Amino acid sequence: MIEVCGASYAYRAGSLAVDGVSLNVAPGERVVVLGRNGSGKSTLGRLLNGGLKPSEGTVRVDGESDGLARLVGYVRQDPRNQIVSALVEDEVAFGPGNLGLSREEVSERVGEALAACGIEALRGRLTEELSGGQQQLLALAGVLAMRPRYLVLDEAGSQLDEAARARIAEVVRRAAARGVGVLEIAHGAEALFGADRAVVLAEGRMTWEGTPQELLLEPRALEAAGLDEDPLACVLARAAADGWRLADGPQAPSLVATAGSHQGESPTPRTRGLLRGKDVGVAYGELRALGDVCLEASGLTLVLGPSGSGKSTLARVLSGVLAPDEGSSELNGSPVSAGDVGLAFQRPEDQVFCDTVLDELAYGPRIRGASEAEADGAARLAARELGVEGLLDRSPLELSGGQARRAALASVISARPRAYVLDEPTAGLDAPARQELRTLVRTLIAEGSPVVVVTHDAAEWLEEANEVVFLSEGRVVARCAGAEASRSTAPFAAADLVAPLLVRLRAAFEGASADA
Amino acid sequence: MRRPRVPGAFAPGDTLVHHMDARVKVVLLAVASVAAFAASAPWGLALVAIGLAAALVASRTSAMTVLLGLRPAAVVLVVSVLSNAVVLVGQPGLSPEGLWRSATMVLRVALVVGFALTLSSTTAPPAIADAVAALAAPLRRLGVPVGGVATSASVALRFIPLTVEEVERIRCAQRARGARLDEGGPVRRLSGWAQVLVPLLVGLFRRADELASAMCDRCFTGDRPIAAGSLPARDALALLGGIVWAVASVAL
Repeated sequence: MIEVCGASYAYRAGSLAVDGVSLNVAPGERVVVLGRNGSGKSTLGRLLNGGLKPSEGTVRVDGESDGLARLVGYVRQDPRNQIVSALVEDEVAFGPGNLGLSREEVSERVGEALAACGIEALRGRLTEELSGGQQQLLALAGVLAMRPRYLVLDEAGSQLDEAARARIAEVVRRAAARGVGVLEIAHGAEALFGADRAVVLAEGRMTWEGTPQELLLEPRALEAAGLDEDPLACVLARAAADGWRLADGPQAPSLVATAGSHQGESPTPRTRGLLRGKDVGVAYGELRALGDVCLEASGLTLVLGPSGSGKSTLARVLSGVLAPDEGSSELNGSPVSAGDVGLAFQRPEDQVFCDTVLDELAYGPRIRGASEAEADGAARLAARELGVEGLLDRSPLELSGGQARRAALASVISARPRAYVLDEPTAGLDAPARQELRTLVRTLIAEGSPVVVVTHDAAEWLEEANEVVFLSEGRVVARCAGAEASRSTAPFAAADLVAPLLVRLRAAFEGASADA
Repeated sequence: MRRPRVPGAFAPGDTLVHHMDARVKVVLLAVASVAAFAASAPWGLALVAIGLAAALVASRTSAMTVLLGLRPAAVVLVVSVLSNAVVLVGQPGLSPEGLWRSATMVLRVALVVGFALTLSSTTAPPAIADAVAALAAPLRRLGVPVGGVATSASVALRFIPLTVEEVERIRCAQRARGARLDEGGPVRRLSGWAQVLVPLLVGLFRRADELASAMCDRCFTGDRPIAAGSLPARDALALLGGIVWAVASVAL
C-alpha cells in the first residue's frame, strides 16, 4: 500500500506545489489523478517514488519510507527524456543492472519486460529509430523490468497517437491485473475507463475524490479537473446522467446514442487568404519524406498522420523554411519565403531567443522593416491579445509553462503573418489551455489568415476544420471535410491511424441508424 | 526526420562480426592496427590485407564504405604520396623508392581505416562504450568510477541525434520569424548561431535535468556494475585466431 499522509512540497518558499495531500493506493488498484497544468499532479507523482521528499507529512510504500524508487516505477510524458541507452535491449537492462542483479537475471527480466509490452521484435534495434509510441512502450518496459510493486504514469500517453495510447493502456491494465498498484496522472477523460478511483487536484490541494462514475455525475468535480468543456468528457457526463456506466465500456449503445445525437460545432468560415502546397516532394538522401502532396488551406486545415508520415516536413515546406525538392508553396498566389507564414511548435523554448519578452515580440515586426515605434506598438498589441502584458520585462525562458507558451505564440503573431502553421500545438496541454488555443485560432481565421494545424491528436479540431488531409508515408491517402472526419473512421484507417473515441462513437451511431 | 547514413555508421545486421562480443572486436581492432603498422612489406602487409578482406566479407561491409571513409583524408594522403615521390633536392625528378614508401604508408592507413569501419558499422556505439569500459574495469581498483564514465559516454552518444533534431527545429522556428541565419558576413552569421545556442542550451539542460531524474527513478547511483559475462567459445577462438594472424603478419 502506498500511504501518503498530509504531504506538502514547495519548489520555492511561500508557494506550495503540493499542499497537504493524503492518498492511498492499494496493490492492484488503479487511481487516476486529474487536474489542470500546474495543479501539482507531477509533483505528487514524484513524491510517491521518492524523487522528491515531502517537506511536511509522510510518504510510505509498503511500510518503507526510503529507497522508494525500487518499489515504485515512474514513466514520464516525453519518452525521449527518459531513454538512456542507444540500444533497446540495453535500455531495458539499465534498471535491473542498477539493482545489482546477475547477468542471467538481467537478461531474463529484459525478455519478460519486452514480452509484457509486446515489443520483443525491437530487441536489437536502436532507440532513436523507434517511433514515439514504440519509445514510450520501451520506457514502460524499462520500468517493468525492475518489477515495481507500484507504477506512476505521468501523462504517459499525452504525446502519443490513439493507437499507441491504447497499447500503453493495455500493458498497464495487465500489470494492474497482476497486482501492481497504478497511479495514473492524466488530463483527458479517456483515463477514466478502467480506473477504480479518481482524484482531482487543484492548486496543490486534493479537491475531490471518488469513483470515476461519480466524477462524471458531478459538474463541480469536472470543472476542477478542467474537463467541463472537454467534448469527450461532456458526452461521457451526459451519457452517465442518462444511466450509462463506465463499466459498460465505450461500446455500450446508450453511450453511442448520446455521442451521435450531440450537435457538434460548425466549421470555421473560409478565409480570403489561401496557403497552398502544390505537388510538394521532399527527399532526404534516398528517403522520400513527401511525394505529390497537394493542399489548399483557406480557413482551418488539419494535417493528420502517424509519426514518420512527413507531417512536420510538410509544415516546414508550407511555412517556407524548407525548400521542397519538387513543387512549391504559395501564399495568396506568390511563392512563400521564410517569414511570410507564422510557424509555431509545441514547445515554447524552441522559438524564443531574445532577452526580454518585449524584444521577443518586437523582433518579427522589426526584422520586417517596421520602425522602432511601430515594432513596439505591434509587440504591445500582440501582448494584449495573448494576455502577457504583465510579463514584457521578463526573460521569455524563465516563464512558467502556460505563460511561456502564450509569449511564444504572441511572438509569432506580432509580425502579423498572413497565414499560420501550427506543428503539434496541443500535445501535453490540459483542456482549458487547448480551448484557449482554439479560440486564438478562430480569431486568426476571422482576421482572414488561413491556419494549418499539423497533429496526431485530432479530436478537438475535427468539427471546426474546413478540410482534413490524411498523410501516410509521405503521401496524401485521404482528404475530407472536417464534419465528415468527425463521424467516420474510414479516412483514419486509410492513414493507419486509430480514430479518436468520439469519432468512433459517432461512426457507430451512424452505422446503427443506417441499419435501423 | 530521418537522415541518410554516414559511411561507417552502425548498421544493424545478422553477420558473424555483428554477433561477435564487442570486447573481442575492440581488442582485435587494437591488435590489427598494430599489425598494419608493424608488418613488413610486401608479404606481411599482404597478410594484413587478407585479414581485412576476411573481416569485410564476414561483416558484409562493402569495400566502397572503406573508400568513402577515406575520402575526408584523401587530400592529405595524396599530398603525402606526391611529396614522398617527388625529389626536389639534388637531381629533381620522381623517386620510385619514395613512391613505394609512401604508397605502403597509405596502404597501412587504409587498412586501419578499414578495420575501424568494420568495427563501427557492426557494433552499436553503446556496445563499443561498454566494451571499452569492461576492458578498463581493472582501473576501478585505482578508484576510477568506470561504470559511471561508461554510462556518461552512452548517454552522450544518445544525445547526439536529439541535439541535431533540436538545432534543426530551433532554426526553423527562428527563420519562420524572419531571422536570416545564413545571410550576411561571418560576424552576422556567428551572431545568428548565438541566437540558436541560447534556446538550445536551455532546452538541453531541461532535458538533461529530466533525464537525470529519470535515471534516479531507475535506481542509478552514479556508478554501475559492469555486467560483463564470460566470452563464448566461438569469440575466444576468434580472438586467438586474430592474435595468431597479427603475430604472423608482423613476423613475416
